[in-house]
Amino acid sequence: MSSKALIVGWATLLLGLAACQRADEDLSAGADTPLATEVVTVYAVNYPLAWIAERIGGDLVDVSLPVPDGVDPAHWQPSPETVLDYQQADLVLLNGAGYAGWIQFASLSPSRLVDTTRGLADRFVPAGEVTHSHGPGGEHDHADVATHTWLDPGLAAEQARAIAEAFGKLAPADEGEFQQRLQSLQADLAQLDQRFAAAFRDQPGAGVLYSHPVYQYLDAGYGLEGRSVTWEPFEDPGGAQWKKLADTLNQRPAAVMLWEAEPLPSTAERLRGMGIEPIVFTTGAARPAAGDYLTLMKQNLERLDRLKLADRETDN
Amino acid sequence: MKGILFLAWRYLAFNRWKTTILIAAITVIVFLPLALELVLERSSERLRARAEATPLLFGAPGSPLELALNSLYFSGESPAPLKFSTVGEIGDSALATAIPLHLGVKVGSQPVVGTSPDYFAFRELSVADGRLFAISGETVLGAAAATALGAGPGDGVVTAPETVFDVTGTYPIRLRVVGVLAPTGTPDDQAVFVDVRTAWIIGGIGHGHEDLADPQASGTVLKRDDANIVANAAVVQYREITPDNMADFHFHGATDAFPLSAVIAVPNDDKSGVLLEGRYQSADSPVLVVRPAEVMDELLATVFTVRQYVLAAVALVGIATLATIALVFMLSIRLRRAEIRTMTRIGAGPGRVAAILGAEIMLVLVASLLLAGLLTALAAAWGDELFRWLLLAQNR
Repeated sequence: MSSKALIVGWATLLLGLAACQRADEDLSAGADTPLATEVVTVYAVNYPLAWIAERIGGDLVDVSLPVPDGVDPAHWQPSPETVLDYQQADLVLLNGAGYAGWIQFASLSPSRLVDTTRGLADRFVPAGEVTHSHGPGGEHDHADVATHTWLDPGLAAEQARAIAEAFGKLAPADEGEFQQRLQSLQADLAQLDQRFAAAFRDQPGAGVLYSHPVYQYLDAGYGLEGRSVTWEPFEDPGGAQWKKLADTLNQRPAAVMLWEAEPLPSTAERLRGMGIEPIVFTTGAARPAAGDYLTLMKQNLERLDRLKLADRETDN
Repeated sequence: MKGILFLAWRYLAFNRWKTTILIAAITVIVFLPLALELVLERSSERLRARAEATPLLFGAPGSPLELALNSLYFSGESPAPLKFSTVGEIGDSALATAIPLHLGVKVGSQPVVGTSPDYFAFRELSVADGRLFAISGETVLGAAAATALGAGPGDGVVTAPETVFDVTGTYPIRLRVVGVLAPTGTPDDQAVFVDVRTAWIIGGIGHGHEDLADPQASGTVLKRDDANIVANAAVVQYREITPDNMADFHFHGATDAFPLSAVIAVPNDDKSGVLLEGRYQSADSPVLVVRPAEVMDELLATVFTVRQYVLAAVALVGIATLATIALVFMLSIRLRRAEIRTMTRIGAGPGRVAAILGAEIMLVLVASLLLAGLLTALAAAWGDELFRWLLLAQNR
């Protein structure tokens, strides 16, 4: 090999190495660039938060809700591998109010957590309190608050505001777009609020029953003063529960019982016999097979409206 | 030439004790300043590098040095606790990322460091075997900690209370090892990393026991009504957090009031760092903010001042030693008059005699320099660890 060829070879190699180094530098620089040009990865703990994030973030965010189909996110326990996925997200949207107990024991960085009901504690609805005492620590309590905050559209709008704010901090360049979408979402929620108010205001009958203690925010938001039992839709409540219900109705009658899912036909029939109409009112905690959160709430409203119409026809 | 070296070598070998003492004296004089300089330089570089890589440290008001040594090197006295709410305050400012740190408990002699997953990205730590912790009760070991504890993924390690006579209810907790970090040559290698909530449970702020509200609960329940359950002190506390009993663990009080040793703040940029620091600069601030690089510079400035005195002393001792060695050689030549006369009689000229004596000196010097070089290399390999240990031992 001639000396000229050797020099050219070395020069080519050095230039190649320099180019590689430059490319590496560019890559690392890319990692530090503002997130405005990147898609923000977001993990949520329930569907309403995921839906809000999708509405506000649009194609600027990639929203994940890894809760398996048919599992209630409130009682879901993710595997360690799924928690590792949550760790990788830019933001993890929490419902707060004690929703999704697994969060308390998951190793997630505080810098990535967005408690969407932070600062709204004065609007939380109590859900009972148990105190226990033992040992030198003395008495301590585990105060509980109701968890399904989004069922009050006013609270859901506040949660949406917290999410938009978190997106804005992470991607300041897109803040205007997030705020614009937030306004559109809040308008939809305000409309939903009005329709809920109208539906419950016009509801016939003396009172509301809930098959599960998950409707506290709906109850508080619209002054329903309903009472709750803990009945599973796919199980017969059993004699003791029916007797307890009869006692409850003796104190104050009810005309409607809200269910998260369709109850057994035998249960529905027996309720109707007692003058109580069972209505499915889904909370929307889990991602629906079709449609979105608003669709679910509209279906809830339609079922309430159908009851109203049926009642009027009976009156006529 | 070969003959000259042979005669010089034979003389030194014959007078082995004198030769050994000479070599040792010269070795020490060469080695000491070299090693001191090298070890100090390298150790201070490493200490400073870790401090410089940590932009801001938040702690409770107290000693900045104690805060920096505890948070950066997991050594020294635990500083006064800082409220967890500081993490939220820093996050709310949108000026920096806050990483909590909670220390104070050990597994064997390895420090348990309670933190968040952000810490691993911040320190650029990678998992060599297994995975990062994902739920409470799991731990990731630094490389040296794994070796010291003889544990790896799938094993368990048990925490020790801070004192043998700890009667405040901090029970040892068994931690499940889920990963081992790649070695980094930093204090992270020595640590037993857990989630900060696990650290709180180890510290007794959270605990787990059977569900006292369950009608099937054991006979430890003394009284039960709708709103209150009273149990005696014999309620069995869980010693390990597992997926099965996790729901029975709970914390007492508001999370925001829970203690931390420190918070590392990683500002978005220099300006954000200055703004954030400025918010806590008032004299009555409940939070101490330090720049670890500045704290370590102050500490190392003191060390370097001491170094100057030590080097001056070593130089004086060196001059005295060299003078003594020169005297030893001169006296030795006087004592070897008969030997030199014999060499002359058998044909060695004055130049050859001088060459033989010079070769003896040269061999002693070469041997001393080689030995000093070897010792300096050893010091370079292990000395900074020793220095760091000596420096931090003052704060243990």
